[in-house]
Amino acid sequence: MMEVGFVFWGLFAVFGAFIAAYVAWMVWVERG
Amino acid sequence: MSVQIVLFSLYFVVIFAIGWYALKRTRDESDYWIAGGKLGWLLGGASMGATHASAGTFVGTIGVIYTAGWSFAWIVLSIPLAYWFMAAVLAPRFTRSKELTLPAFIETRYYSKAVRRLAAVIILIATVVYVQAQIVAGGIISNIVFGIPTEWGMIGFTVILLVYTSIGGMLAVVYTDFIQLVIMIVGVAAALPLAIRGLGGLGPLFTYVQAVKPETFTWESFPPTLLFTMGLAFTLGTVATPEKLVRLYAMKDMRTIRRGVLFAILVAAGLNLAIFVIALTSIVIFPALPRGDLAMPMVARAVLPPVLGSVLLAAIAAAIMSTVDSHMLVAGSALAHDIYGTLRPDASPKTRLWIGRVGILIVGSIPLLLILSGVGEGKLIQFIVLLFTALMASSFFMPVVVGVYWSRATKEGAASAMIGGLLVCFGWELWGPASIDPVLPGFLASAFLLVAVSLLTPPPPDSALAPYRR
Repeated sequence: MMEVGFVFWGLFAVFGAFIAAYVAWMVWVERG
Repeated sequence: MSVQIVLFSLYFVVIFAIGWYALKRTRDESDYWIAGGKLGWLLGGASMGATHASAGTFVGTIGVIYTAGWSFAWIVLSIPLAYWFMAAVLAPRFTRSKELTLPAFIETRYYSKAVRRLAAVIILIATVVYVQAQIVAGGIISNIVFGIPTEWGMIGFTVILLVYTSIGGMLAVVYTDFIQLVIMIVGVAAALPLAIRGLGGLGPLFTYVQAVKPETFTWESFPPTLLFTMGLAFTLGTVATPEKLVRLYAMKDMRTIRRGVLFAILVAAGLNLAIFVIALTSIVIFPALPRGDLAMPMVARAVLPPVLGSVLLAAIAAAIMSTVDSHMLVAGSALAHDIYGTLRPDASPKTRLWIGRVGILIVGSIPLLLILSGVGEGKLIQFIVLLFTALMASSFFMPVVVGVYWSRATKEGAASAMIGGLLVCFGWELWGPASIDPVLPGFLASAFLLVAVSLLTPPPPDSALAPYRR
């Protein structure tokens, strides 16, 4: 089950981090 | 069965009505190919996301996860990576000179009609391969919904797509894409909790999957090199596919593009993730399907109540149609605008529009005719989608991305990169080791040729570089 947690939930965690990074980048660009 | 037929009939009536509405609003080629270049973030982003979510997502990916396990799901990370790259790195320069098609950009940047026609031919060939896979999936859905033979389903699907795409152009495509996206979200949002609850929740689902296919949650189902290079194919291919690039021209400015792209990431990746979980439930419910591609239609038909099952099937149909219409539009523009248009530049705008419509009818019919004659059958849909993506990445990524940044890139370099990348990618697919996706050698060959041949040939004229220097 350890591996399930890593392989399954790890994907959602990394994806969430990517979205947060995109939003941060967008805000940064638009504030100049 | 009657619920399904009523729902599908209603859906088809709505998209025909949109096609007719778009026909009335289309005044010139700019309206027809890029919706006048005035799309807002919601329609533009929805269209990007809906085009991304295809039979590859709803039928193909679920088939791969069913067959080979969850590690493939990590490919979804290619979506935010690729779209961020588009919005942050490529679009600010790519959209400085607003064109109607990708080959038209190639002509502007590489000052050559011949290279533009070459790009158009590559798009035509690759689109045929891609649309074939989608139409096969359409046939499977039609067979399940209407009980008609798969061949008739494929014919019906193609005819409906050709009618609304050819009459309404990009406007019809983006409006129908929006509705199709809503259907996809509703279908998946309804199916996911029901499918999970049917098995007692996520915890029991994992336990059942472990019991039925213990290899599902390991990294061993795909060689790591293959998983990484497939991810590379999707990342580079998403950036370089003409149906995505043309949407950058269709949205009105950079601010709109940034928001539209974020929306596309959320819907495309969100749909993918939800579908991956549905794939896990199908492993438990149908452990012995003859073909992984049947998993999603089987969930829709056998697990969900009739109305919800119909909505999910409509979602699959919507995913296929929202993708194929965009590809038909791009292929039609390649034939009519980039090949015919450059051979007969003095044709009137009205004639060009009609040539565009005929072009879509021609190129949209070829994939169907090829399938009906037995070409391209048998492969899992997702692997056909992957091959298309790899071919696009190997041909166009370098000439497009490097072209807007490196002023030394020449027409000869671009032509060599397109042809060399395509041939190496295709050759690797046929004869190379299967543990590495063909995108890697194809992309490397394209990069090498672009740089080497450009440095060996005379530099581009200033006029070709002007839009990208400002």
